[in-house]
Amino acid sequence: MLKRAMVEAKRVLGLHSPGRNLAVFPDDTFLVSFPKSGNTWARFLIANLVRPEQKIDFSNVNSIIPGPEVTSNRALIRLPRPRIIKSHQYFDPRYPRVIYIARDPRDVVVSQYHFQRKRKLIVDDVPLPAFVDRFIAGQTCFYGSWGEHVASWLATRHGQPGFLLLRYEDMVADTPRELAKVVAFLNLDATPAQLVQAVERSSADTMRRLEKSQAQQFSSTKNTRQDIAFVRAAKAGGWRESLPEASVLQLEEAWGRWIQWLGYELLSAETARKLEVRAGQVPPDVLVGPRT
Amino acid sequence: MYPPKRNLKIWPDDVYLVSFPKSGNTWTRFLIANLAHANETVGFENIHRLVPDPFVTWKRDFDRMSRPRIIKSHECFEPRYPRVMYIVRDPRDVVISQYHYHRKCNKIEDGYPMKTFVERFLAGQTCPHGSWGENVTTWLTSRHNDPRFLLLRYEDMVADPHREMTRVARFLGVPADGDRVAQAVERSAADRMRKLEKAQADKSSLTKDSRKELSFVRAAKSGGWRSELSEQFAGQIEAKWGHIMTFLGYALATRDAASAEPELASFMPSGPR
Repeated sequence: MLKRAMVEAKRVLGLHSPGRNLAVFPDDTFLVSFPKSGNTWARFLIANLVRPEQKIDFSNVNSIIPGPEVTSNRALIRLPRPRIIKSHQYFDPRYPRVIYIARDPRDVVVSQYHFQRKRKLIVDDVPLPAFVDRFIAGQTCFYGSWGEHVASWLATRHGQPGFLLLRYEDMVADTPRELAKVVAFLNLDATPAQLVQAVERSSADTMRRLEKSQAQQFSSTKNTRQDIAFVRAAKAGGWRESLPEASVLQLEEAWGRWIQWLGYELLSAETARKLEVRAGQVPPDVLVGPRT
Repeated sequence: MYPPKRNLKIWPDDVYLVSFPKSGNTWTRFLIANLAHANETVGFENIHRLVPDPFVTWKRDFDRMSRPRIIKSHECFEPRYPRVMYIVRDPRDVVISQYHYHRKCNKIEDGYPMKTFVERFLAGQTCPHGSWGENVTTWLTSRHNDPRFLLLRYEDMVADPHREMTRVARFLGVPADGDRVAQAVERSAADRMRKLEKAQADKSSLTKDSRKELSFVRAAKSGGWRSELSEQFAGQIEAKWGHIMTFLGYALATRDAASAEPELASFMPSGPR
């Protein structure tokens, strides 16, 4: 009862975090990804770009590119417009403009595994393959499975105006080039020097250093295990060393079509051949859900 | 005493009845309510209690409801829904139905240009649930062929409601004997629903604050677009969503399904690289 009254009081005062109930404005841009796909790095990059006079760190990034799950409704409404808002939501028809970051699910699952250890959501001795099972079933977070998430956005919005697709791997390989796409998409006035500065101020080393001193000032690192870093490998393709082959094959079997579509090479020649054979056929095979 | 909306607490045994608006959702609610509650007289005044809508039905009523619940929704893909019955309807009919419904609800005036309405329909601006294509695509790409998902076509339900309701009954795990299904179909017939609507229009949020001279239960048939929708508008809809319509078995009238861009034969957007 008291808890309920507190919730209501917070709502009335606008102190609650709206999450998926966020009020969307027509000039909003959303920075969307499945969790553990480089969203925080992208927030640093973009925030450093739109605020070149201010160094972005873990204590201020959420006030510039807020996440509706951890920001009060009042703060979100008071944010200067046009707003850039971080989101992990699966397709939301109300989002007018979207920057979507995709990342190879074989890396995402490893990243999420370590992040959930850090947050004490799983214990250290949960075997990675068991985590992969739950990951494929969409049970490791509240945003659907990786495949459902990617399909919900790409099958509806890719190729439409107001949608920019970025791959985490491309951002790692050539950060200034990918950030330049964001500059064009957001119609920003950024000099080449400002672009370089944003990349430097958001480097993995810089972010690791900031994380050390500011872990308690950022929602994703607050009250988590400090022996596991939030800014972890910050690279692409780590799955080749850390993910058991059986798990790789499982992920490719579940989402091979989307993995290929995004330009990631399949390890399994067999899955690749199956997809090849089905290529001439129609939809069911590109759909995401488990088969009957 | 407020609708829980998206904050509704979802139980693992909940079943959702989902569709884009104007796709036969209310009719199906009646059918299911009549099937599951054979001892009640199902009407517009109690449908929100029998097959509740989180945006209308009060939280208190949700809390008191017996489980498993069957819940109405128009939302795009929602991973939290444990099991889903999804109704699709030919978008060429949906647009006409929505046009008349918006007239009834005073959202547009009589004589509102169909051209403008079709454009807004295609852009997903006629309701808050995405465009028809977005709504359908998010569900099909994520859940089609999944044992937790039952795809229904409005057209099949009109053609053979008994057969389709038998599928629904099996999915819901309620008795599907012929008499029981036949009774549910009969009690949810368009004529009967029209009569109930007349008698209860002021008692249901579906009909309460809208023009009474326009009926909520309208034609209740499929293919009306052939006489009511000009070729130009049908063509616009087919150009945008032909690939989805072909997948769903709706024959295209203004273009050749096979010659529609080949990549549109799937839900995969044309590749980035």
